[in-house]
Amino acid sequence: MMPRPTPANDIRPRFVVAVTAVRWLSEGTFEIRLERPVGFKFLPGQKISFVDGALRRDYTLLGPVDAPELALCVRHVPDGLFSPRLSRARIGDRFQITAPFGYFTLKTSGRPAVFVATGTGIAPFVAFANAGARGFDLLHGVRTPAELYYRDLLFTAARRYIPCVSAAAGDGEIGPEGFAGRVDRFLSTQYPDGAYDFFLCGRIQMIRDVTRLIDARFSGSRVFIEAYD
Amino acid sequence: MKIYTQTGDQGKTSLFSGERVVKSDARIHAYGDIDELNSVVGALIAALLPDSEAAEGQLKEIQSDLFQVGAWLAATSGSEAQARLNSITIGYSQRIESWIDGMDAQLPELKSFILPGGHPTAAWAHIARTVCRRAERAVILLAEQEAAAGRSFEGFAPIVAFINRLSDYFFVLARWLNQHAGMGDVQWQG
Ligand SMILES: Cc1cc2nc3c(=O)[nH]c(=O)nc-3n(C[C@H](O)[C@H](O)[C@H](O)COP(=O)(O)OP(=O)(O)OC[C@H]3O[C@@H](n4cnc5c(N)ncnc54)[C@H](O)[C@@H]3O)c2cc1C
Repeated sequence: MMPRPTPANDIRPRFVVAVTAVRWLSEGTFEIRLERPVGFKFLPGQKISFVDGALRRDYTLLGPVDAPELALCVRHVPDGLFSPRLSRARIGDRFQITAPFGYFTLKTSGRPAVFVATGTGIAPFVAFANAGARGFDLLHGVRTPAELYYRDLLFTAARRYIPCVSAAAGDGEIGPEGFAGRVDRFLSTQYPDGAYDFFLCGRIQMIRDVTRLIDARFSGSRVFIEAYD
Repeated sequence: MKIYTQTGDQGKTSLFSGERVVKSDARIHAYGDIDELNSVVGALIAALLPDSEAAEGQLKEIQSDLFQVGAWLAATSGSEAQARLNSITIGYSQRIESWIDGMDAQLPELKSFILPGGHPTAAWAHIARTVCRRAERAVILLAEQEAAAGRSFEGFAPIVAFINRLSDYFFVLARWLNQHAGMGDVQWQG
């Protein structure tokens, strides 16, 4: 296994912060905002952990990096231990978070950048776009068009914004750029051969499928991954 | 987070700098050997006798440094990903030198060849020393490949110095551990 440059003994500073806003983006996903601790600096693509005793859950910061509050986009996992607690949070509720960390940041090269997300795996790409990234191709895999959150921002920033909607949807709903099917099927059937910088974020199954595809079809590409489960 | 990603089942793996490479790549050998060395150091720490706090503290710092070295080796030279990591400086090997000197001052002068063994803790230190030597060979091979490909050798120099000094450290530590266990060196009767 590749060594991960994060020590196992977590000595990151922690902060207790209050919730400042909760806004539902779709039936199952919400954006939550938190107070920003003094001196809290992060790079687009970094995440924080919520810590409660032995329980730890990571969430990616949406940015912008200089915004007065911290913003996260969270899927409510119905039987989950922690995300339902976040989804019920009221303004003023306090949570313990860690300082930001992680290496899933934008690295540029001469190759075109292709961002691939499933669900709330879109979060680091929102952070990249908020930090001024432009000209990338973005595939957002969701079940229904209602889950295409941050569409306007991403549509403007991307060279190609491709919603990949797996549950049956009418063409009108997914737009002319949209694709009815999963991200890996779009890549294998529609995407031109070549060497790219792939950034994959979200469910491990997607990361697995797309990485296999990259090895088979897009050799010479670089792959950066952030797995949510 | 799942430990198994299954993205390596076809014999490839991702470098920290994003490239997909075959697992027989020189870079994978290099950081794999560093990882193995770190595991041996972990076994050594677990075996330490009471009253070895100083050695334990040093070994834990070494584990953390080795982790850092492994991450650095897992990214291609000059990549943006590598630039984000703390660089390994000559200070790493200098610190090891001071630890060597500290232990050496407590040991009798070395008058003959010694065999790798004695107390189990010293035996672990000798395994660490020899795995460290292998890691050194792997890192140098990688550095040569990088140089041949026209990439900078610069970042490797402090790493090679650190690993080289580390094997001396494990040699002296093995002697110290034998003495600490009341056994003395195992001398070669050749
Ligand atoms: C580096 C990293 C960054 C992350 N960033 C985000 C983020 O920005 N937004 C976010 O919503 N989640 C993110 N996650 C996932 C998050 O940390 C939690 O795993 C998730 O909220 C479930 O926690 P839970 O306690 O509610 O569920 P648990 O009781 O832990 O149950 C876990 C179950 O939820 C599933 N699950 C995990 N994440 C998701 C998800 N996003 N959508 C649907 N099912 C999921 C798992 O497969 C598992 O079956 C991230 C995870 C990692 C490792």
